[in-house]
Amino acid sequence: MEVLSPYKEATDVILEAGGEPLKLCYQCGLCTGICPWNLVRSFLVRRIMHEAQLGAIDFGGEDVWTCVTCRACVQRCPRGVEIINVMRAMRRAVASLGIGVVPDALRISAKNIAGVGNPLGEEAEKRNDWAKDLKVKNFASGTEILYFPCCVPSYDPDVKTVARSTATIFNKLKIDYGLIGTEAKCCGEAIRKAGYEDTFQSLAQNNINLFTSNGVKTVVVSSPHCYHTFKNEYPELGGKFEVIHITQYLASLIEQGKLKLSKEINKKVIYSDPCYLGRHNDVYDEPREILQSIPGLELIEFPDARENGLCCGGGGGRIWMDTPKGERFSDIRVEQAVEKGADIIAVACPYCVLNYRDSVLSMGKAETIQVKDISELVAEAI
Amino acid sequence: MEEVKIGIYVCHCGLNIADIVDVEEVTKYATTLPAVVVSRNYKFMCSDPGQNMIKEDIKELGLNRVVVASCSPLMHEPTFRRTIQEAGVNPYLFEMANIREHCSWITEDHKAATEKAKALVSAAVRRVYYHQPLEIKEVPVNPNTLIIGGGIAGIQAALEIADSEHKVYLVERDPSIGGHMIQFDKTFPTLDCSACILTPKMTSVGMHPYIELMTYSEVEEISGFVGSFKARIRKKARYVDEDKCNGCGVCVTKCPWKANSEFDLGLSERKAIYTPFAQAVPNIPVIDTEHCAYFLKEKCRACEKFCELGAIDFEQVDQIVEVEVGNIIVTTGYDSFDPTPITQYGYGKFDNVYTGLEFERICNAVGPTSGKIVLKDGSEPKSVAILHCVGSRDENYHEYCSRVCCMYALKYSHLIKERTDAEVYQMYIDMRCFGKGYEEFYKRLSEEGVNFIRGKVAEVTDRAINEDEQGKLIVCGEDTLLCKTIRVPVDMVILATALEPRSDAAEVAKLLTITQSADGFFLERHPKLDPVATMTDGVFIAGCCQGPKDIPDAVAQASAAATRVLALISKGRVELEAATAVIDEEKCSGCRICNLLCPYSAISFIEDEKVSRINEALCKGCGTCVAACPSAAITHRQFTMEEITAEIEGVLV
Amino acid sequence: MSFEPKIVGFLCNWCSYRGADLAGTARMKCAPNVRIIRVMCSGRVEPAFIVKAFQLGADGVLVLGCHPGDCHYAEGNYKTIRRMSLLQKMLPQLGIETDRVRLDWVSASEGDRFVSIVDDMTEKVRALGPFTKNSDEEKHG
Repeated sequence: MEVLSPYKEATDVILEAGGEPLKLCYQCGLCTGICPWNLVRSFLVRRIMHEAQLGAIDFGGEDVWTCVTCRACVQRCPRGVEIINVMRAMRRAVASLGIGVVPDALRISAKNIAGVGNPLGEEAEKRNDWAKDLKVKNFASGTEILYFPCCVPSYDPDVKTVARSTATIFNKLKIDYGLIGTEAKCCGEAIRKAGYEDTFQSLAQNNINLFTSNGVKTVVVSSPHCYHTFKNEYPELGGKFEVIHITQYLASLIEQGKLKLSKEINKKVIYSDPCYLGRHNDVYDEPREILQSIPGLELIEFPDARENGLCCGGGGGRIWMDTPKGERFSDIRVEQAVEKGADIIAVACPYCVLNYRDSVLSMGKAETIQVKDISELVAEAI
Repeated sequence: MEEVKIGIYVCHCGLNIADIVDVEEVTKYATTLPAVVVSRNYKFMCSDPGQNMIKEDIKELGLNRVVVASCSPLMHEPTFRRTIQEAGVNPYLFEMANIREHCSWITEDHKAATEKAKALVSAAVRRVYYHQPLEIKEVPVNPNTLIIGGGIAGIQAALEIADSEHKVYLVERDPSIGGHMIQFDKTFPTLDCSACILTPKMTSVGMHPYIELMTYSEVEEISGFVGSFKARIRKKARYVDEDKCNGCGVCVTKCPWKANSEFDLGLSERKAIYTPFAQAVPNIPVIDTEHCAYFLKEKCRACEKFCELGAIDFEQVDQIVEVEVGNIIVTTGYDSFDPTPITQYGYGKFDNVYTGLEFERICNAVGPTSGKIVLKDGSEPKSVAILHCVGSRDENYHEYCSRVCCMYALKYSHLIKERTDAEVYQMYIDMRCFGKGYEEFYKRLSEEGVNFIRGKVAEVTDRAINEDEQGKLIVCGEDTLLCKTIRVPVDMVILATALEPRSDAAEVAKLLTITQSADGFFLERHPKLDPVATMTDGVFIAGCCQGPKDIPDAVAQASAAATRVLALISKGRVELEAATAVIDEEKCSGCRICNLLCPYSAISFIEDEKVSRINEALCKGCGTCVAACPSAAITHRQFTMEEITAEIEGVLV
Repeated sequence: MSFEPKIVGFLCNWCSYRGADLAGTARMKCAPNVRIIRVMCSGRVEPAFIVKAFQLGADGVLVLGCHPGDCHYAEGNYKTIRRMSLLQKMLPQLGIETDRVRLDWVSASEGDRFVSIVDDMTEKVRALGPFTKNSDEEKHG
């Protein structure tokens, strides 16, 4: 018989983060049933909630790091348990109290973020290099919009096109926008979910000070992760500015007649809802509106779309961790897209771009299907 | 005026008060208050020894005012008023200080609680000082009763009252009485045929000399108060003369026009002229003007041609009927939860996903499939899954447990096992089999070989991942006891849908000045001790309009409500509110502001004397006029300016 | 010791008083600062009561009635709304900060709502500090 001996200190951290709602879990198992992990392997969310209630979590186990924070479970939990907060708290207990092991890949990314302000370990000074030849001005007081592309499009050679497309569109439309200095750091959304609370706090403070001192009022972002934390987490820490996701911005420009898409893209395009845009922030229509206003483009849907959309697997810090082949959600998504006869998977999140492009390559489907961010498609159609 | 002598009694309420409030200190403090002759405390003031203590003090010390510091006056004010009345003191020379609900139960701070208790006692003493004896007046009770809703609860209440030879007006908005119960096939756990046990009662209602049945009718307005309510009822046009029709049904047979049957929840069709089901009471059809060709295109009139009695009357119009009653029982029932918003269960998307109520109709011998449990294609299911808690126990829909779903799910399992060879899977969170014979029924179903799987279903999908799943509905979720996610391919899915408040419950509540609890069901006066009364005297609630319940509970409540009504009828009179408002006609300037403010039209203007006067029989003592009178000419008995000022002074010591 | 405000609560008999009772019955904990005076209807509450309460040493006054549309006496609380909005306008002239007086609605089933209103009101009044006519007169010069 097993002795139930809660690790008091860790339990307190989790109870505090999970708050009252964690106590309310009545073990119905809906979360497990919904969790996308169970499409590829077993991941018993319900059991973790019970372990969390009793303080009997196996901090050394891999389950601590599994959740992709896609919010599918939270969205439908009959008792309103903030499951993501519980997962985050478990990780925090490991990362800060040292009672378990942080996966290597995550540890390196965390170190990079804390050190140079981006997970790729690139030099801070090179943050705005992607825009070198595009004549983008630096943000100065009075500039209407700050464009904040996220670390991935800023540094990753394969995803830079997302930022470059956005800048191209903005330049064409003569939008008054600028880039903030290279003191800017990662938004911290994902590293917070990965349990590195202190890192998040210092990143957030850095960015808030930087934005505030430069008189930023409106930020347009390419990543739903930046969007989420700027909009929902920074205000509590004193960062108060209008946050607009690029798809919201472009959709409003189209609606106002300022952005006209005239070049045809005669392709079948399937749109994959990013979790942090959709389930986390209820933005479902704008990306679709943009795609539908591209001439020639036929928009199709995944079998699970919108609220039920499948995660790419990159949330909650999983973007930096290794997911073995056979367990990648993005592979399932690519397969579904191919089955539906799509020519292009359209996304609106740099993590999705990374994961789907990886999947397409590793599955040998590069001839059949492409992965594009909506900003890239708009830049082509303008 | 005789000298005021006040007695104070501080109740310990066991430990409920004494644990937090220092009752000794409060008792001692009370002796310092003006006109206080005696101050005592006791374990339970509401007990006989407690009450006797007060009576003896009244006798021996000549007390003429009493304050009890204990629970809420809504609990025991009537008790202590009676106590002092028995000892010869006018019952209105009494005041209660609520040091339990508002004091010892809301804080753990001993000092703060004791200070607050002292303040509340001080307020009560200062106020009771100014109380004047009031006279209780009575008015007769109209012995007629209005019952709104003709389901099992309404039927039961109507029969019980009518059997005692008192008139009942039973108003039902559908063309027939019977409610949800008549839609059911069997009833759990005894498996009685629902119609077999209900139709005799329905027939009795139809024939009862003391019941005036008004079907296809709705109550539009209620006025008055306990003992003498007035109700305005709209009898919707049936386009069939009730006096001439003999229910032969030829009109229905001959009618060529069809519409979805409401009674079968759209699973079958009915005619444009129809009775909802064979045993309808009254057995008189109605014409559905939205589907009748005559009303749509001014042609056909087949029913009229074939009716030998000339009962079809296309010229009929809605009638307004006014009735006078002494009491009202509300038995408006529930709505069945629509699971369409839970998209992942595929209701409305897949054939063969049914709600609980739809499956009742499928099981029913006169239902859309004549009682055969079959799939949409007519074949027999080889496997059926029943999903529990659909819309219940889920804060996204209804937080409460609907109480009957576990049991009806078991009943369906039995019916499926009895009539088919199908495997049955029950996907439950907790089995709640609380009633008499219910656990035994659960055991019986376990013996019958039903599969019980513990876990809330995540999804019902048609996306097969292997041969076995092809063409099936796959029920996915975690078996929380196995700690495994499972996929169960089945042919039919039954959603054990919640019971929810009627969609128009808010309007009905407003009509009757009763309230709804947070879940939307009607609120009873006290959850345990006064479960069928409402905050409005003379208006009672029974059945599922008060909360989800099974048939035995609905019937028990209906009988209870009937008994409450009969008690009032039997007494024959009700006490009027004594704490009414009165106008000092010397001071009244005749401005008539109060006339318009009074919600009961109790104030009239006397033209000759140019003053306003309050009809005491109509005044309910709200005090609105008092606060509004610019000449301060209106006094609210028991709530005078003097009394309330004294109380304010008291709470602020 | 921190300042413990004295708040007089006028609660209607049919909704709010029962809501307050329910808070107690369910053993919800709340600030003990509100001392409740029961009136049959919030429509009975005269502005004079409120002014009187401040004269007699109250730091705040809370008036609770049935939700609009739910009044036991059909429409008494609508009268209260009108009366209280007039009073709110007069308060500054009387040297009373408007935050010291609050009109709100609590139904018989809303024990939790009662608790949150009481706690919130207590905090607000605590922040305002004790009500003293003098200090206010100084303020209003």
